[in-house]
Amino acid sequence: MENALGLAGYQSTMMIIVFVVLGFGIAALFAALFLPTRWRLPYSMEFLFIGLLLVMVWYGDSRSAEIYEAYQAPLEEEGVLETGYDPENGNFDQVIRVLAFQWGFAFINEEDEISRNAAVVQPGERVLFSLFANDVIHGFNIPAAGITAEFEPGAERDVWIRAPEEPGRYLIQCLNYCGVGHSQMKAWLVVAGDEDAAEA
Amino acid sequence: MASVHDAERMGGKPHWEAADIIGKMTLSTLLFSHDYRHIAIKGMLTSIVMLGLGGLMALLFRTELAAPDIQFFDARPYMSLMTLHGMFMVFGFIIPFVVSIMYYMIPKILGTEQLLWARGAQWSWWLLIIAAVLLVISRPDFTWTFYPPMALRVGGELIWMGYIAIVLVAISEFIAGVVLFKNGWEGARRIGWKKLPLMGWGALSEGLLLAGSTPMLGLVGIIMYTDWAGITALYDPSRGGDVITFMYMFWFYGHPAVYLPLMPAVAALYTLLPRFLGRPIWSYWSAVTAFVLLTVLGFIVYPHHFQPAENVSGWLQRTTQILTLAIFIPSTLHVFNWIATLWSDKIPDSARRAIPFKFMVASIFFLMVGGVTAYVNAQIATDSDFVHNTYFVPAHFHAMFVGFMANMAMAGFYYLYPYFTGRMFNQALANTHFWFWQIGIFAKVTLMYYLGFNYFPRWVVDYLDLPQWSMPQMMLTGAAYLIGLGFIVFVINTMISSTRGAPVSGDPWAIDGEDATAAAPVPAE
Repeated sequence: MENALGLAGYQSTMMIIVFVVLGFGIAALFAALFLPTRWRLPYSMEFLFIGLLLVMVWYGDSRSAEIYEAYQAPLEEEGVLETGYDPENGNFDQVIRVLAFQWGFAFINEEDEISRNAAVVQPGERVLFSLFANDVIHGFNIPAAGITAEFEPGAERDVWIRAPEEPGRYLIQCLNYCGVGHSQMKAWLVVAGDEDAAEA
Repeated sequence: MASVHDAERMGGKPHWEAADIIGKMTLSTLLFSHDYRHIAIKGMLTSIVMLGLGGLMALLFRTELAAPDIQFFDARPYMSLMTLHGMFMVFGFIIPFVVSIMYYMIPKILGTEQLLWARGAQWSWWLLIIAAVLLVISRPDFTWTFYPPMALRVGGELIWMGYIAIVLVAISEFIAGVVLFKNGWEGARRIGWKKLPLMGWGALSEGLLLAGSTPMLGLVGIIMYTDWAGITALYDPSRGGDVITFMYMFWFYGHPAVYLPLMPAVAALYTLLPRFLGRPIWSYWSAVTAFVLLTVLGFIVYPHHFQPAENVSGWLQRTTQILTLAIFIPSTLHVFNWIATLWSDKIPDSARRAIPFKFMVASIFFLMVGGVTAYVNAQIATDSDFVHNTYFVPAHFHAMFVGFMANMAMAGFYYLYPYFTGRMFNQALANTHFWFWQIGIFAKVTLMYYLGFNYFPRWVVDYLDLPQWSMPQMMLTGAAYLIGLGFIVFVINTMISSTRGAPVSGDPWAIDGEDATAAAPVPAE
């Protein structure tokens, strides 16, 4: 999810909270074990603590919902979820249909060209992936774009990404165990460089 | 309130006399005796065997994972090892181990003097052993979650035995749940709800979780078998079935399943902490509240296991997220309570020396390490962003299963050891075991988190040679070997000390400054 990545992004914020809470907990445990000062905590401390936890729950829930809704919004605006995406009038730069099978991906672009190992996109493009499978449950993960989806056979699942700005090859992998060939189920997101753009 | 904080009721007094129970056991008492100690010892010993087998499998496939590409195992044997590792560790080792510790402690602590419906506990054990044998023969390679239709299309001709084994595990756990609930209930009836020791509350929540969730697992096992045999097609979309049904049914068991080893471990911690510190738990009612909340939440948060699937959306997704985050509250109540108990007064030197106490402190540590990251796992956006099915998830549950529950199982075992052998284990060897484990587990969990952070996928035999992947994998294998070494030290110590350890008289865990010889078992009321 594009708005979740980055050093100051939502992912990092959540990890920082995790580290702070963990550090606090470990410090308390070590203090309880090794500090010479003994402290009989008043019961009110626990209520205070639960209050802090509730704030944490509220913050995690609202941030997560906010990020996820922002991510879902383009899908809803384009009617992807309700009526299906219309490539003629839609605002996504590219639509790639992805067939996941045991064991690999087939990427079908708008010109109906099929690639077994690469989805070719332009830097910074907004790409809609239409995922489907006919055999078993598969996963679809692009680490560089921060998106994971799980989809069962027979259903169609739509996810979108903003392609990385830097030209190069980025990993696409299956994240759901789908049989013995699971570890080979990999492909590449190829972000075309300037020379490729010039050729095309 | 004084009676609630009565140290005796909280496990503060020794409950057994050290005796060589295990040495006097014959094959027939081992197999068929209905004495609670015999059943518990049998459960613990078979669990240790399962731990050894499951650990051996882990070491084998970890050796394969140490470097990219395929060196020792092909994908199919690798997946068989991994599936059996998961099933042995969860169904064979950790759940029966902590449940056996409960079987041992309940009769004295709840004052029932015997395990009620011990016949049930006996049946539960036998069914589990049959299930383990069937599992090994069937050699499943579909991971412990056996998602159809994948699971229906892999595996050899004997895979039906695996499904039968799953049904047997379900029946076995169901019976164990009924036994624990019955004992907890009887304890509450005799002692009164307001004075019920926390072990009793643990037995009640554990019993409810086991008995409430396992029927669904049995049903799933039966349907998987009939689907595989071609009789039905409930889970196979190519024949008109629906995998979503499977997801909801399986995870209705699957989430309570991870609490099954948690509850007895928590209950054991609540029992042993006052025992070693010589003072009651900081807050009794906070612990009871946490038990109740955790039991209730355990049944309703299961959709978070398949959250990035499309069918979990809208209000269901949001509610699941909020409830999952809310699990923070009961778990923190537990941890807070333990730390407050530790902090409230001086920790006796006898406790600092005691091996079970060390394992308990390590358990609290790892419960925090495994618990806080749930903050990331629980959120929809981070889950569909980078956590789901990467190594972040195994890191989270290994910190819990190994760091918290297995450590707690060891604490319980070392605590009970002098009571059923009449001898003390070797302190130096036990310390070696402790440090090998803690260093190994910490390294393992940290490296798994790191790999998950770098999107290392679960369930792979082979991986790309990326620097952020291969290096931690190599170190992870080292950490696994360290844990294995610790286990060998533990087994040697257990075996040698049972005949050559220093004989124990009086209270083996007497607190400094108290008269160790005067401490006799609490008479029954």
